[in-house]
Amino acid sequence: MIGPSRVAELEMPGAGVETAAARPAQSYWNESWERLRDNRLGMAAGVLILVLALIAVLAPVFSAVLTHYEPQTINLDQTFVRPGASHLLGTDELGRDTLTRLIWGARVSLGVAFLTVAMSLSVGTTVGMVAGYYGGWIDDVLMRLVDTVLAIPAIFLFILMSILFRPNAVTLAAIVASVGWGSVARLVRGEVLSVKQRDFILATRSIGARDSRLMVRHLLPNVLPVLIVAASLGVGQIILVEAALDFLGLGIQPPTPSWGNMLTNAQSYFFHSGFLVAFPGITIFVTVLASNIFGNAVRDAFDPRLKSH
Amino acid sequence: MTQPVLEVQDLHTVFATKEGTVKAVDGVSFELNAGETLGVVGESGCGKSVTALSIMRLQRPGRIVSGKVLLKGQDLTRLTEYEMREVRGREIAMIFQDPMTSLNPVYRVGWQVAEPARLHHGWDKKKALQSAVSMLGRVGIPAPESRARDYPHQFSGGMRQRVMIAMGLTTTPEVLIADEPTTALDVTIQAQILDLLRHVNREFGTATILITHNLGVVAGMCKRVVVMYAGRIVEAGPTKDVFAHPTHPYTWSLLRSIPRLDAEQHEPLRPIEGVPPNLVDLPSGCSFHPRCAFKVERCARDVPVLLQVGESQRSACWVTQAGTELKGA
Amino acid sequence: MPETAVKGLKRAWTTAEPLVSVTDLKVWFPVSSGVMQRTTGHVHAVDGVDLEIKAGETVGLVGESGCGKSTLGRAVIRLLEPTGGGVFFKGEDITHIRGEHLRALRRDMAMIFQDPYASLDPRQTVGDIIGEPMDVHHLAKGKQRQERIRELLRVVGMNPRYADRYPHEFSGGQRQRIGIARALAVEPTFIVCDEPISALDVSIQAQIINLLEALQAKFKLTYLFIAHDLSVVKHISNRVAVMYLGKIMEVAPGRQLYKRPRHPYTGSLLSAIPIPDPAIELQRERMILQGDVASPVNPPSGCRFRTRCPRAREHCAEEVPPLESYGDEHKAACFYPLD
Repeated sequence: MIGPSRVAELEMPGAGVETAAARPAQSYWNESWERLRDNRLGMAAGVLILVLALIAVLAPVFSAVLTHYEPQTINLDQTFVRPGASHLLGTDELGRDTLTRLIWGARVSLGVAFLTVAMSLSVGTTVGMVAGYYGGWIDDVLMRLVDTVLAIPAIFLFILMSILFRPNAVTLAAIVASVGWGSVARLVRGEVLSVKQRDFILATRSIGARDSRLMVRHLLPNVLPVLIVAASLGVGQIILVEAALDFLGLGIQPPTPSWGNMLTNAQSYFFHSGFLVAFPGITIFVTVLASNIFGNAVRDAFDPRLKSH
Repeated sequence: MTQPVLEVQDLHTVFATKEGTVKAVDGVSFELNAGETLGVVGESGCGKSVTALSIMRLQRPGRIVSGKVLLKGQDLTRLTEYEMREVRGREIAMIFQDPMTSLNPVYRVGWQVAEPARLHHGWDKKKALQSAVSMLGRVGIPAPESRARDYPHQFSGGMRQRVMIAMGLTTTPEVLIADEPTTALDVTIQAQILDLLRHVNREFGTATILITHNLGVVAGMCKRVVVMYAGRIVEAGPTKDVFAHPTHPYTWSLLRSIPRLDAEQHEPLRPIEGVPPNLVDLPSGCSFHPRCAFKVERCARDVPVLLQVGESQRSACWVTQAGTELKGA
Repeated sequence: MPETAVKGLKRAWTTAEPLVSVTDLKVWFPVSSGVMQRTTGHVHAVDGVDLEIKAGETVGLVGESGCGKSTLGRAVIRLLEPTGGGVFFKGEDITHIRGEHLRALRRDMAMIFQDPYASLDPRQTVGDIIGEPMDVHHLAKGKQRQERIRELLRVVGMNPRYADRYPHEFSGGQRQRIGIARALAVEPTFIVCDEPISALDVSIQAQIINLLEALQAKFKLTYLFIAHDLSVVKHISNRVAVMYLGKIMEVAPGRQLYKRPRHPYTGSLLSAIPIPDPAIELQRERMILQGDVASPVNPPSGCRFRTRCPRAREHCAEEVPPLESYGDEHKAACFYPLD
């Protein structure tokens, strides 16, 4: 049909010069990051969470610098001191400094939140990916499992666990994750089902790639945005769950401070030392709000079509 | 010579995007006479759809920044939204490309076809529905009374497009704009719909603007044609003449790059080199010049104006305006 | 072609035999409905197809939506497992092969997809997309791999520097070139092109068609070219097969098909295609079909086309017309063909 000379003609880069030439490579991640950067409120929320995480990790440093107190030191001379020069956010019924306890509490509350999210995301993603990719009976079995897990009234599970052993941060995270992974699995499965339909997955199968390669290298990166959003929103959710558990007496037990149990503790003293309720309350509120704002900003950054004008 | 039914004069429509301002319609002028079918042909991004939407004032989020759209002498760009709503559906009707999504899935078809009549003529439900059923019959839908009670998902693509045409004609508009009405349909169904459009044009005498990227469709349906590229009209004239001796390099190259069903020998296709321009960053001078086989120095400097070339055609090309004939290997 | 390309080749194959052949191929998809999701019927996507593709030729496959041409393409390249019948490649029965055997086959067959926007992973660089087949089959590593990727980009007419860019930075035509480069990465013998230009602008289509033809000559490729645009298919193919509702209605060399179609469906298809020539268009005789395509779940008895055929008679409902020969590689399945 056509002679070889035509090929030489085609080997010249005539067809694709213009548009892509000047700018540096712009991956999808770069573009999303730029969009996120443009969202001032979202970025502020993200920075706040980052700062809180930093405080949590470097709690001893912060508390030493800011307050010089220990979180668990009891000082019965200094009970219910109002916020002021000596105790920036006041003291509680045992004379413990509130600010110090908030700082150390960040460790617990944020630690539990991040750990829980990490655990439920790992388990949930694996299950959701396998179920969504293979379909058939594997999907049926796994989704019935997920349905069961989601059907368990979490409260009863928590009560049971608390009776059996005193939870520390790690075990608490594991307990909460054990019911939380179900919704992640559903979410991931849904995304996988939709991404699976796209031609590039078929194309990759057509070159002979194994299932594992498809799932890890192709499905996972395309499912990642959804996971990142879920993680951002999840942090806020878990903080509230942890606070609620503390409220019920099922979570982290005193004297270890967590924002939730500080709040619970302060209930009885609400009328004369309202600040003891206010400070942990505001901290929780601001953190959860920031997590929600950031989560939504991330979602908008990844998929601007979802934004309503 | 009677006044044209629709006259578009130097229309400019722009879109604001993150990368810059897109001049989707960049100085478009043409006329539509009573009873005729005008073809507007071009590839994706050339501005043909935005032109149609601008005529209907449905171009949002774009903005019409200048120009006039005269419907029987009245400038549509100057009307209020309220006044424009009187025009839409009653004086000018539009049919869209995708029959799957153009109909509302939750309402019966008869109700939807009757809607324009109810809105514009103020008819009561019964009268409007009767007229809708009769219209469905006239567009070739068998058993229209019972079909009028069906929902859109019970119709095939071709049938839905017929329903759209029926809906457009209920109020016997002056102008019908068909934006790629057959692109999403199978070729045998396309033939049916084009046949219907021809029939409708004869019977109702509605002036029609047929927007398409398919040159074959234009050849069979339109007496006059307008070719668009990068937001501007590059050539206009009677279809016979434009196809037989195109006076713009774009039209000329496009005609030569299409494989013809009736080709005798296998001749290698002669593609247009390069890629369509980025509308945010148009080339200087003539937008087509980077891909043009006939360009001269002036083409990169000055934007060509649409002028008469030859007896019946107009072309926006410095080269052909200077008298050069388009020929090539 | 490296000799180790297809492992497990049971017997020697020569170019005298067809490269790919399909016998009575059936691909049915179950349709389930109801609360219990029971299988209530099947979509007869491909329902008894015989086709042969010789080495070096291009066989075009046309038909309208629902005719099964894409399904047939996928079955031939074993992205689907046939429900019945057989698929043969280089003389070997590949109908039900799996696992490593199937994977080895993927080094000899490739596919190009329709949608240039969906067929490339948006998260991968162009270089990785093209290099992936090489990674999967361990064909090249490191510098050699990079060099091969650059060479492939050059061969499809793109600047090799684009290897570290992402698909969304390119136009439709360029993405399609990337898809073609990926298909070529394993040095296949046979490529199935599934509507490779339908989603592209008219002015770009010609570039891609020419590219595919040039590559065929350069690399001695065999194509199955699937499209709904008969003008394009006729141009690029040696022979054209027309499908309707899962069966082949007519097969013939392109020019023959146009000049003397035998099957009424081919006739109406040809008359429905607009030709960019006003003089011709105005005086064409049109054979316009009534009604819509029948459902592939419940195809009509006998000849499937009879419900829309202007020449149908009683006999057409009773018996399925076989593919009759009309000389010189021209076959049609009709009891009352056009003359």
